[in-house]
Amino acid sequence: MANESGQVYGLTILSPIVEDQRLDIDHTTQLRWYLSTLPRDNTSPFAKVSSTYLARLVVLDDVVFVGKPACEEHLKSRYLIFETNFDGDLDTYLRRMASEAGEFVDAVWKHCVGYPGAGNSDAFVAYMKKCQLQTTFFFADVNDRTVKDTLRALQTQSALTHFIERNQGKPPAEIQKLFGVFLERLKSAPAPLPGGRADEKSATEDRPHD
Amino acid sequence: MNAITPMKPWKTPLLRLFFFVLGAIKPLQADLKNLSFIHFARWVIVGRNRFPRLSDKQPREELRYDYLIFFSNFNGTWNQYIDAFSAVLSRGLNLIWRWSEKFPGSTPVTPFKGYIGRVQFDTDYYYNCYPKAATNDVKAALRVQDALNDFAKTSQSLSPVEFENAYLEFLARVQPDLGSTGIAPVGT
Repeated sequence: MANESGQVYGLTILSPIVEDQRLDIDHTTQLRWYLSTLPRDNTSPFAKVSSTYLARLVVLDDVVFVGKPACEEHLKSRYLIFETNFDGDLDTYLRRMASEAGEFVDAVWKHCVGYPGAGNSDAFVAYMKKCQLQTTFFFADVNDRTVKDTLRALQTQSALTHFIERNQGKPPAEIQKLFGVFLERLKSAPAPLPGGRADEKSATEDRPHD
Repeated sequence: MNAITPMKPWKTPLLRLFFFVLGAIKPLQADLKNLSFIHFARWVIVGRNRFPRLSDKQPREELRYDYLIFFSNFNGTWNQYIDAFSAVLSRGLNLIWRWSEKFPGSTPVTPFKGYIGRVQFDTDYYYNCYPKAATNDVKAALRVQDALNDFAKTSQSLSPVEFENAYLEFLARVQPDLGSTGIAPVGT
């Protein structure tokens, strides 16, 4: 199935946005304003739905006219595109969106035609599936790990680099002992936060090079 | 990056066939994989009658073209991305976009960039669970994790002399993949 690659699911949703001529500020503009205020780090709503690798929300105002001799044509509605890449199955992911990021989901999709609200997760899942587009071809460079595994591996990579750097040249018995402590600390370290911290410097940035 | 291009409906099945073959024969994806700066990418064909209509009040779309929508999540700059696409994947890209109206070909790069600029549309919100990690960082980190898991099984039961040899072997295995992630330097 083209929506999936290994353990990764590529979901594409196209939701028509409500057109209401009576409003001073139309739904599309309100939606864009809201999206522009959303955090992108570990406080992002997608960090709560922690199986999300990468996600985007895009307003499609119209199709594109590429120039003559092609025909010029226009959409009659504007659409919200939701593109997300996550590990696991679709139903679980959508239900997590509704339960763990319901406020955000409502704030976004309330601008869309036929949106039933995140409160009723069955109706929400059915709505999203009505808006789903089948992916024709999906490419995932790494498709055999979860988000949690990947974040943990990045944490390990950085920690191990520091361990090796700090302990080079020490006697083998001492390194062995320290390595055991290192493994225990790594095992009990809190899981890395998806999305990172906006104010966080990387280990490399923190370490001036001589 | 997001792009949308119109296609005459009679051409759509040909592109679907190409994607089917690309999906079925993995070696054909080798160049895409070897570029190693695309986390995820997808192409979605939307038939002219397939735009979701969820209410009778919503006007029905009356389109003559089917549309190919492309989404890519890559690390690096737009210019680096398009240049690499043009230089490395030109044959594959031509097979994908040749069915779209007015596609100039992926080489030479100047008209190709002009076309992409015309059919591209901006992202309003973007989230990345590992914003400081490039595709190669992710792959390297996973290799380090696997190597550490292997070494951790025996490291504490070895004598110091055995440990020294095993530790050096472990270092040699992980050395190319060590490092920390961070904001990439911006180059133009």
